[in-house]
Amino acid sequence: MFNLVQLLIKLSGFLVFIVLEAICFSLVVRYNGNQEKVYINTVNQFTGWMQNKSAATYQYFQLYDENKRLAKENARLLDRLANVGINVQNPLDTVWADTLQPKFSFLEAQVIRNSINQHHNYITLNKGSDDGVTPHSGVVSDDGVVGIVRKVSKKYSVAMSVLHRQTIVNARVRHKNYFGPMMWKSENIHIFNLDNIPKDAPVTKGDTIETSGYSTMFPPGVTLGVIDKLWMDPGSNFFTIEVRSFAKLSNLQHAYIVRNIFKNEEEQLEKSVITEDE
Amino acid sequence: MNSIIVVNILRFVGLLLLQGLVFKNIGVGWESFPYLHIIVFPLFIVLLPLRAPKTLVIFLAFVIGISVDFLYDTLGVHASAAVFTGFIRSLVLKMLEPRGAYNMSYSPTIARMGLGWFVQYTSILMFAHIFFYYSVEAFTFVYIVDILIKTIVSFLASMVFIMIFQLLFNPLD
Repeated sequence: MFNLVQLLIKLSGFLVFIVLEAICFSLVVRYNGNQEKVYINTVNQFTGWMQNKSAATYQYFQLYDENKRLAKENARLLDRLANVGINVQNPLDTVWADTLQPKFSFLEAQVIRNSINQHHNYITLNKGSDDGVTPHSGVVSDDGVVGIVRKVSKKYSVAMSVLHRQTIVNARVRHKNYFGPMMWKSENIHIFNLDNIPKDAPVTKGDTIETSGYSTMFPPGVTLGVIDKLWMDPGSNFFTIEVRSFAKLSNLQHAYIVRNIFKNEEEQLEKSVITEDE
Repeated sequence: MNSIIVVNILRFVGLLLLQGLVFKNIGVGWESFPYLHIIVFPLFIVLLPLRAPKTLVIFLAFVIGISVDFLYDTLGVHASAAVFTGFIRSLVLKMLEPRGAYNMSYSPTIARMGLGWFVQYTSILMFAHIFFYYSVEAFTFVYIVDILIKTIVSFLASMVFIMIFQLLFNPLD
């Protein structure tokens, strides 16, 4: 004890120096705009670097699962490829130029940050404007819809997850074409709500829900989930539908950013009609 | 004993006003030559009596530094440099200790220690202070060349003023 006190007395000059210097630097960073900017920039770069490294390490441990999933997806895609052209309903002498032109292209991206336990969850992806990502692009995984890109920097983009209270995905019932907005209202990360399905629609429990393709963000037919529960609230003209989703957001590592090649054209056309009416 | 305290209090106030009201405007007004910044207030730290305890020196350095910051509106920048100067003062004193140790009742002035010793001692402290100050002002070593040029120019200008004061007043304490 005595030795410790002696040591403290011997080091007192140094300790006072460290404490006062710490106070000074916190003042510098708080009250001087220039230094504050430098500080925030440095800290951001450092944490960004750390996150990249930790994500890379984590992915290494998940390689086995990832391989299995990719193999499964390959199989599904090969399946679709093999079946192309079998169900042709058009007469043989008609060629639809539209179908020859791809409308959507997919950009593979890695998830470097993800959250599922907030009311507003976000996903950070490692592709940015350098790779041609624009805001309001859809993000899908092989299980279904993941989110919508909100902001883009040079190398990164941040997407609102479907687990965000303000994310609305335009959905429809497969083969029945009744459509409505799907959003996340519950506390359960697998349960979503589908609105605006009229009560005379022949929907039942177990029907598959997919994207409608009415928005420019997602191609039509991306699966979203199955109807888990449905009932009619008294006095309402619409069903209240709970959808159980397929997307595994809690261990998401790869996602595809959807690029709609005709997005601008479609949006401008719609906008011009709306402004004409106003 | 009492006279030392009075002298140091007067020096504190005098240097603070001189720095904050006179030299501040010289630095700002000289738009065509932004590298020059005359800093004389660390002279207070330099001239504290030899027997002042280490912690007291660092604490007083902090007080004068933060006071200058209030006048400059750069909270923390001058204070951090002053605290650093206060900290290295004891190390520099140990380094320059003459044969046969210090007379602890003296203050490190020209009249007591001689011109050569004083110039050496003050230059080391002032250079360290000004270098630290510009480093904190830039807050990054990306502009190290800029920092060094500013430090050298300002150091020379500040030393001229400090030597003028010392030779003019030539204090014992």
